[in-house]
Amino acid sequence: MTNLDHGKFTRVTTTFHSLLALDVFLLFFTGYSITFNDELWWLLTLMGGNEGVTTLHRIAGFGLIALIGFWMILMITTDTGRSNFTEIMPGGDDVKAFIQDVQFVLGSADERHPNAKQFAGGDHDDIPLLSYVGKGVVFIFAIELFLLTISGLLIWSKTGLMQYFATKTAAMAFVTFHGLLGVIMLMGVMFHVFEHGFHPAFYPVEPKAFIPRELIPETHTDGGIEALELAPSWRTVSNVMGVLTVIGIVGVMLGSVFDEGYPVPRELAVGGGPESLLLTIAINAGIFVLFVGLVLSMYGNLLRVRWERRLEEERRQPTATDGGQPDDD
Amino acid sequence: MSYQDDLPETSGYSPTAVAISAVGGIVLALVSVWWAAGTAVFYEGLFRVSPTVEGGGIGTDWVVGNTVPWLDFLIAFIHAADVLMGLFILLLVFIHWGAFRRLAAQMRKADEARGEGVATDGGETE
Repeated sequence: MTNLDHGKFTRVTTTFHSLLALDVFLLFFTGYSITFNDELWWLLTLMGGNEGVTTLHRIAGFGLIALIGFWMILMITTDTGRSNFTEIMPGGDDVKAFIQDVQFVLGSADERHPNAKQFAGGDHDDIPLLSYVGKGVVFIFAIELFLLTISGLLIWSKTGLMQYFATKTAAMAFVTFHGLLGVIMLMGVMFHVFEHGFHPAFYPVEPKAFIPRELIPETHTDGGIEALELAPSWRTVSNVMGVLTVIGIVGVMLGSVFDEGYPVPRELAVGGGPESLLLTIAINAGIFVLFVGLVLSMYGNLLRVRWERRLEEERRQPTATDGGQPDDD
Repeated sequence: MSYQDDLPETSGYSPTAVAISAVGGIVLALVSVWWAAGTAVFYEGLFRVSPTVEGGGIGTDWVVGNTVPWLDFLIAFIHAADVLMGLFILLLVFIHWGAFRRLAAQMRKADEARGEGVATDGGETE
């Protein structure tokens, strides 16, 4: 038995997820090397200084608008897309799942609520398409991406914005708003990387986000989590990544309070000195977590390619004795 | 028995030696940079002028130009949202971290014999 679990998403969804991740990671790396330039000066320099970074950020921003437009049109115009709207609506079960998760951690519940389970194992039917966290992610990311796109377009041309708001300070306020707004998503993505990269059953990546449902046989998983073997490195790596995720989230949260740049800091040399060494380390830890997320996203796609090849080989050999696939063609 | 059985036996390095060497390398790098740059590791902060708002420096007109109260409110609001959401996300991280540790405890360890603890019908064994 492998950790493949049941498939959930269509090929379009998994491809969209990978493209959106790539684009958002690029937006994070460019955008936050500007916001936290004191702490991420190396990243700013690496991507071509002020001009290079803002150019890359705008290119990625253009990509994001295209991706959002594609997804909205697809969701509204297709039956499959419209059916998703009922799947993502949070309900009472999701609140129960959150409470039960707290109880599970404290030891007063024996298992996670179906709406919290990431690993379905043998019982697929009572596991919803999205967990309570998944639904929250869809809502928060949708609101964030919408507001970030609007504010990003407004500050695309500062002189253009100043036609509507008479002062350059007001224009800068929108820049600050844009940067501070993205911090919520930045912290959310760090959690997302931890949640889906370091679940013991899926470590180091949850394949169902990358391998389309059409390629995962329903009969593949036939046991509970206790039938799976824990990877020997899981404990150490998940602890290290857990610590880095917490430090990274705390770092950007504190950084957003201190490095706001609006209206204009009392002294231009905000942070950047040895006195903010801890904040520098913390924010860099957060960027490292995002980088791990980017690598895991690549690895997920590598798994998909390898799985597709394996399926292709199995189809060529219909005499498979290990539960090979009945030929659909 | 294991997939490694037919692989050649080599005399490797002990994990302790690897860890000590790694720490040594990092210390060497830190000392080198410290020697080269002194305490001014964050070089970009060095030559900055600090014209303060109070002193009527370059930043003053930016502050004076800030005449849109609702933009100020928006930024105060988003600051609060960042902190509140940050704390909530931290809570979620800790919940999942704890849950993952409990789930990991239910899984088979690498040295356990295959098949042990696996119920044939996928039911609970404990």
